[in-house]
Amino acid sequence: MMMAAVGAPEVITQLESAAKVLMAPPSMVSTEQRQHAEHVFLSFRKSKSPFAICKHILETSKVDYVLFQAATAVMEAVVREWILLEKTSIESLRAFLLTYVLQRPNLQKYVREQILLAVAVIVKRGSLDKSINCKGIFHEVGQLISSGNPTVQTLACSILTALLSEFSSSSKTSSIGLSMEFHGNCKRLFQEDGLRQTFMLTMEVLQEFSRRENLNAQMSCVFQRYLALANQPLLSLYSSFSSYILLLLLLLLLLWALTGGGPLGRHYIAMFEATQNVTLKPTESWREALLDTRVMDLFFSIHRKIREDSDMAQDSLQCLAQLASMHGPVFPDESAQVSYLAHLVEGLLSMINGIEIEDSEAVGISNIISNLITMFPRSVLTALPSELFTSFINCLTLLTCSFGRSAALEEVLDKDDMVYMEAYDKLLESWLTLVQDEEHFPRGCFVQPAIQVFNSYIQCHLAAPDGTRNLSVNGISSHEAEEINELQEDDRELFSDQLSSIGMLGRVAADHCIPLLTSLLEDRVNRLHGQLQRTQQHLMASTDLGSVDRKVLDDLYEDIHWLILVSGYLLADDPQGETPMIPSEVMEFSIKHSTEVDINTTLQILGSPGEKASSIPGCNRTDSVIRLLSAVLRTSEVESRATRASLTELLSPQMGKDIMWFLRRWAKSYLLVDEKLYEQISIPLSTAFGADTEGAQWIVGYLLEKVINNLSVWSSEAELANDTVELLVTLVEKRERANIVVQCEGWWSLAKQFASRSPPLHLLSSSVQRSLMKALVLGGFANMDSDTKQQYWAEVLHPLQQRFLSLINQENFAQISQEEAVKQEIVATLEALCGIAEATQIDNVASLFSFLMDFLSSCIGLMEVYSNTPETINLIIEVFVEVAHKQICYLGETKSMKLYEACLTLLQVYSKNNQSRKRSDATAEEDQYQDLLLIMELLTNLLSKEFIDFSDNDEVFRNQEQGTPASSRTVSAADVVLYGVNIVLPLMSQDLLKFPSLCNQYYKLITFICEIFPEKIPQLPEDLFKSLMFSLELGMTSMSSEVSQLCLEALSPLAEQCAKSQEKDSPLFIATRHFLKLVFDMLVLQKHNTEMTVAAGEALYTLVCLHQAEYSELVETLLSSQRDAVIYQRLADAFNKLTASSTPPTMDRKQKVAFLKSLEEFVANVGGLLCVK
Amino acid sequence: MADPDLDFTTGESGASATYPMQCSALRKNGYVVLKGRPCKIVEMSTSKTGKHGHAKVNLVGIDIFTNKKYEDMCPSTHNMDVPAIKRTDYQLVNIAESYMSLMSDNGDIREDLRVPESDIGKEIESKFEGGEEFMLEESELDLKTIQSLSFLFQINQNL
Repeated sequence: MMMAAVGAPEVITQLESAAKVLMAPPSMVSTEQRQHAEHVFLSFRKSKSPFAICKHILETSKVDYVLFQAATAVMEAVVREWILLEKTSIESLRAFLLTYVLQRPNLQKYVREQILLAVAVIVKRGSLDKSINCKGIFHEVGQLISSGNPTVQTLACSILTALLSEFSSSSKTSSIGLSMEFHGNCKRLFQEDGLRQTFMLTMEVLQEFSRRENLNAQMSCVFQRYLALANQPLLSLYSSFSSYILLLLLLLLLLWALTGGGPLGRHYIAMFEATQNVTLKPTESWREALLDTRVMDLFFSIHRKIREDSDMAQDSLQCLAQLASMHGPVFPDESAQVSYLAHLVEGLLSMINGIEIEDSEAVGISNIISNLITMFPRSVLTALPSELFTSFINCLTLLTCSFGRSAALEEVLDKDDMVYMEAYDKLLESWLTLVQDEEHFPRGCFVQPAIQVFNSYIQCHLAAPDGTRNLSVNGISSHEAEEINELQEDDRELFSDQLSSIGMLGRVAADHCIPLLTSLLEDRVNRLHGQLQRTQQHLMASTDLGSVDRKVLDDLYEDIHWLILVSGYLLADDPQGETPMIPSEVMEFSIKHSTEVDINTTLQILGSPGEKASSIPGCNRTDSVIRLLSAVLRTSEVESRATRASLTELLSPQMGKDIMWFLRRWAKSYLLVDEKLYEQISIPLSTAFGADTEGAQWIVGYLLEKVINNLSVWSSEAELANDTVELLVTLVEKRERANIVVQCEGWWSLAKQFASRSPPLHLLSSSVQRSLMKALVLGGFANMDSDTKQQYWAEVLHPLQQRFLSLINQENFAQISQEEAVKQEIVATLEALCGIAEATQIDNVASLFSFLMDFLSSCIGLMEVYSNTPETINLIIEVFVEVAHKQICYLGETKSMKLYEACLTLLQVYSKNNQSRKRSDATAEEDQYQDLLLIMELLTNLLSKEFIDFSDNDEVFRNQEQGTPASSRTVSAADVVLYGVNIVLPLMSQDLLKFPSLCNQYYKLITFICEIFPEKIPQLPEDLFKSLMFSLELGMTSMSSEVSQLCLEALSPLAEQCAKSQEKDSPLFIATRHFLKLVFDMLVLQKHNTEMTVAAGEALYTLVCLHQAEYSELVETLLSSQRDAVIYQRLADAFNKLTASSTPPTMDRKQKVAFLKSLEEFVANVGGLLCVK
Repeated sequence: MADPDLDFTTGESGASATYPMQCSALRKNGYVVLKGRPCKIVEMSTSKTGKHGHAKVNLVGIDIFTNKKYEDMCPSTHNMDVPAIKRTDYQLVNIAESYMSLMSDNGDIREDLRVPESDIGKEIESKFEGGEEFMLEESELDLKTIQSLSFLFQINQNL
């Protein structure tokens, strides 16, 4: 097999000239020439047993690229022909490659790396069937390392790196067409055998290097001789040094993956690669190696030496961060953990205290701290000697404040790489972790640090003189107004992590922080008030708004902005899906001081937002929590007054948003505080905001008035209007609050105003109008006596209905339908309907559904009238989408059927109107895309009933109707959905499928259908059936892997359906036969994404069950095309093994699982073999 | 319809050709007058100068006659002109010397519109030449073909 190749010189000549073509500049060769050259290499690499010729090439050719290709060919062929090769020839091949590299120190780097990669792949493949002993390899590498020759050492490093990257099963691993199972096995074997040895070897070299550098002076002459001899710059030594560190980093990362316990899922591996923040969990066998304090010392000392080189410093700190995350069985007991941690903390403190931190070290150091705080149990942290713990906390405090200041500077300078910001985030996160476990630590030990960190945060965010915002190093403040687009996140989202931590620290030191925030905010509000008054007087004199200097105002707005954000995060949480509660620290703080508090004065401060807090007698004896809220209300009041004085243009919409955001967050936890939820309740808080209190009523009224004012003043500020209407929704979505809201006159006039569509509410953007409608509907379900309730609906919903009906029932509606006023009325109604649907809750779905159903049928009529107005059609479909989305899951059988019928009619009309319609304007395609997307969304929503169903046989409707017998069921979800697909399919062009969202939605839909209603597929009309099958084929073969997987998942239910019906000549039966061939080819012949093996395997199995004869035929054809007897036999054996456990194949779960298992082996054994074809 | 100097501020029917709307109430896929041209809004975004500045609306529209792209930016409190667009279905009755006779739903006939010089125009002509009697049978289909044109024509008339 390894005999000298015939015609070797010719092959070499051919390859070398092809290489010349490929390396030539683009202008020198034609595309055909280039393609031909590529083809030469491609077929060379696929040639059978190219070992002899490759050896020959490596030994004789002088063209680097050809050498590279020869190495690649060897690597691929070894994997491909592994089973057929003699173990001794593999071994000699490996030895040859290694010696080859050793003897040629001057090889091009990429050639050398490729050859070493081939060696690593051989070792990896060999490790599986134990034909290669890893120990031997490490022995060889060990010898290279102890040679003392830097060149050889560098080479050894490269070998280790290649081995690691091959065995780590990461994205860097060569894809050699073997299953994930195989890669996983290799990894496990390597862990048992090679990993620790690699680690020891690496440590040895590192020790040697660090010793050598210690002896730098004495070594210098030896060094110089080395340099002179090799003519190598010092740099190259450094670069190999750095690669050792990288190697070790990789290794430490790897350890985690390898020792994480249990088999790693694919997604887990992907996650592991994605995140840097992996933790180290070595097995017991590593104890000796890793608990040796010299290991840690080594890293500290290495870092000290290389910290000025920013790249290497990051690597060495990353290694330390890994050591700081160490946990698991490596520690024999807690005391071992304590002494390990103590050693780490001591090393860290002495490292930080002795140096001025470089920019490049910030992130690394914060990672070390964050890891040790996250990973070590609280009991271990508290078991540290108390002095050490205190110095650690002090150091952390100073570091946090300093990083915070540097982060602020980075922002001023608008740096691209915000290293201090990243480091600051990490440290604040660590504080959050610490403070959340406060009860484990000595009482009050975090109060002083919290005050310091909190103060420094506030200082960085306030303008001079109190703060340092926008001050650059030399103390000059910069003030430039930049353009900000809507895509930029609001600070409250952008900095939510920071703000959560700061808020939490503020709670820990509530005694200091709450009064501080209050006094700062009150001060700013007074100044803002004064500034606005002065501006007003100035304007009366000059009437030119442009002449106003906004600098002072903007500074105040920015101060207030941050103070409100911090206050919001301090006073309340915004939990998703949980009941919002007053934070316990805040509650305790208020209780603790309640004896010193005068409740009446507190209420007076709260109830007089128009007055200066300090002007109220006894203002020092007020509850601080309420006082902070009052400060925000004062801000709000100044804003409102300014709008009334026509100074809106001077105000900041950002500040308006902050106020709305704060009040909403606050209201969720504090307004109508539920005493049952708390062990202890603060009297001031319950007196001011409890249920049935005047305070609560007053504040609801105040908020409502504010909302109404905002909606008219700020209609042009979409985000502010949105925050405002969200506050309104919050006020009414809880029944208890809604009960108070509906007692306010303002609420009723808001409802009337909106219902009559009079200005200024109609200026609001459509999304705000929808939410407003939603709020008004939610309010209608509050407690009212029946007369009032009737009156309310008469004010809110009936005008909508009446106006709509009287409009569309006009005789000449068709003629006037295009008039602008009519169109606007229609659009407003449709928007309102969407809002009403959004207000659906389980306890109001009954009445809302009935109300909306009446409209839905009228909407279908509108489809006809507005068939030539795409934007209206779009909106009509959207109403259906919303209703289905919000309500279908609550609907019982009869109600669902009504909705199905309505949807079906909608789709029929849509389809009729769009047949053979041609539009030539530029946006036609976009309009169609919108329609189709909405229709598919509608269909998917309807389908969702099949797996999310809260209905209980019309339980929620029981009082409304005498149940219609279920047998009269006329339309099913399947009918509607299939009808919809009927419409969608002909319109889905391949062009439209290029819109990713449309493509995904489409394939999601058809897979759903195949899975949920496979019995409906054979009944489809011929055309529809054909295009569905074509879609599946297209999706399987030429779309993204996600879509391909969806299509494969659709095949099994289809095949099962065929098996059930037993019709041998149905179109579906014939189609599945075609799919059998497709899936067979995909799995056996094509290089496929290994992630798809399971989905494809399941599909293949059910298809094989259905078409056993055809499957045998496929196998026969494949086998008969093999000319090589050995390959034939291997293939035949593999196919026999594949189906052995499932003969005859039946659709039985157990057999299917067995088949899938054999399939994995099959792919591992012969997958690579067949790819040769 | 290709008249670039079309003055669409004077309407023949007496109805206002445009009406004002606050920027914030405009919507994507709606219509607006940009640089004097009636446009369909294909992109709409907001921005502001400085964190405490007021919103400005950036609009990108496509001229419904010429498919040309126009952009504009204005404070969100400002009013923009929105073209009043009316669409009517006509039945094609005759083509004489490149002018079409079109009948509206209420029986009015107009003959002032040329067959457009475009692919769709050619399609209309070829369908028409297929035979008058035949036309009426197929009216549904042909009506729809014209619809998009009438959409353009009608705007032309009313603006």
